[in-house]
Amino acid sequence: MNSNSIAISVDQVTRSFRSVRKEEGLRGTMKLLFNPEYVTHEALKGISFTIPKGEFTGLIGANGAGKTTLLKILSGLIPPTSGEARVLGFTPFDRSLEFRKQISIVMGQKAQLWWDLPAIEAFDLLRALYQIPMDVYKKRVEELTTLLDVSKMLNTQIRRLSLGERMKMEVIGAILHLPKVIFLDEPTIGLDVLASKKLREFLKAHNQKEGATIILTSHNMDDISELCKRIILIKEGAMIYDGDPHTLTKQDECVLRVKLLSEPTLEEISSKTDIALDRILKDEEDQTTYLLSITRSRITEYFQKLLTHFEVADIGIQEASLERVIQKIYQN
Amino acid sequence: MNLAWALEWRMAAIKNGIKGALAYRGEFLVGLIGSAIVPVGIQLMLWYAIFQSGNTTHFAGMDYPELLAYTWTSLLFSQIRGGDYDFELIEQIRTGTLSNFLLRPVGVVEFVFFQGFGEKLYTALVCLFFGLIATIFTKLTVIHLLMGLFLAILGNIIAYLLGASLAAAAFYWENAFAVLMVKNMVVSLLCGEVLPLSIVPEKYSFIWKSTPFYLFVYGPTQIALGKWDTHQFYAEVGFALLWILGFWAALKILWTYSINRYQGIGG
Repeated sequence: MNSNSIAISVDQVTRSFRSVRKEEGLRGTMKLLFNPEYVTHEALKGISFTIPKGEFTGLIGANGAGKTTLLKILSGLIPPTSGEARVLGFTPFDRSLEFRKQISIVMGQKAQLWWDLPAIEAFDLLRALYQIPMDVYKKRVEELTTLLDVSKMLNTQIRRLSLGERMKMEVIGAILHLPKVIFLDEPTIGLDVLASKKLREFLKAHNQKEGATIILTSHNMDDISELCKRIILIKEGAMIYDGDPHTLTKQDECVLRVKLLSEPTLEEISSKTDIALDRILKDEEDQTTYLLSITRSRITEYFQKLLTHFEVADIGIQEASLERVIQKIYQN
Repeated sequence: MNLAWALEWRMAAIKNGIKGALAYRGEFLVGLIGSAIVPVGIQLMLWYAIFQSGNTTHFAGMDYPELLAYTWTSLLFSQIRGGDYDFELIEQIRTGTLSNFLLRPVGVVEFVFFQGFGEKLYTALVCLFFGLIATIFTKLTVIHLLMGLFLAILGNIIAYLLGASLAAAAFYWENAFAVLMVKNMVVSLLCGEVLPLSIVPEKYSFIWKSTPFYLFVYGPTQIALGKWDTHQFYAEVGFALLWILGFWAALKILWTYSINRYQGIGG
């Protein structure tokens, strides 16, 4: 990959945090005063990857896996303990003026706009901070608020907006200056299905139109599967997968969709096929169709067992959902 | 750096502060009046008690009408001093919301100052309005009032720079509010808002003269009342600028080193 086409490069980045360990109760509090015990937590353990310009990448992992720590390092909020991170050729923690003008971060759990002011006032301040020419700014605000359907809320105090409307305003505020790199930390958290969908469509269109490099962390797998062509999976501070989400779903699990002529119980299917009961579901729309989550390598075996013990009307293979695969990775 | 942009974002931050103050006008006025009542009430009762005893005609180098004039005039400047925006910095460090500002293309400490300063400018305008009314009924002159206000605004800048420097302690302790509360108590005593500093015996006056706090209330009040002449005004402005320079340097050094400890906690 040409170095000019790389937006983000991370090389053997580690990050550890030292904190005081407090024992329970009053005795623990007293001990803390006179003899504090420190523990070091390794949040990131030698992570390396590169992201080309314009790519929409998903950063996923369970709570505490190290996603937000990595975003903080890439955005320049904290330095890595060791290793090197570079974004657009800058060392993020230097926080140079040029770097800060070209990046943006949205944190779903933290408001970044001014709570007591209407969004339009906050956008006007951002215009001044990022030196956006007035005519460009006006056109952009109109375009973005129309796309996200929040034009009518521009003059409402941020704190009076619904969570979905506020999040849309936060995203507009974050991309108003057309940053080249955008870090999105759980932007759809707490949003309803419609608001999440709208935001996803908007982000996808923005990525395609402006060519911004976007890193998204989310626990909502719909966000990831709809937006990201690539995912980086982090578990306990280490990177365990880097690639296409579809490759991940094809790797291991799949769903066998079986239509039977009879209507056996789930227990019966489980006992005849040796598939765990919690991996068998009945199709809500068809009482004789069953969904069996199985390991891809054992398809033939299960196929034979089903044909031996039941009268099969139809059978098909579905890809396992990203959510199911990720859940399994977290559990293991 | 582009000069026009440098001015534009600072003006925008000031305007943002004014808009913030205007968003809650009722609360703003109640806060303004409420914070004035206690020090004024204490002083008025104290002067009354002292002069009612009949044994004295002068106190702290002033007679009764002069003390009353001091109390009412100092009230205007005590509203301009300080501000809670250094507390805001600690809260931002503690809760991780400092991250919002650290990644903007402007200095975070400066941005918080200009935003808070906007609110104080609004307060200064309200005080100027009351001060101008007072010039009709008292010996207060417009020019002296404006000179006093100017010094008080410089005092406000000093107060913030000191507070923001101390706020760097939050990078180490997280909950460093006590540092600012102690600072505020010392400032309250040595700025002349509770009692005129002329009450301090001459041989101990070096205590308040060696701090910048008298520039917050006592100095501006003396200027406004015409007790300090124009030469002294210029001298005090010079001192104020030196203090600003000193605290600005301290602030730069403290934040440059301390910010490496920032963890942006809270998600």
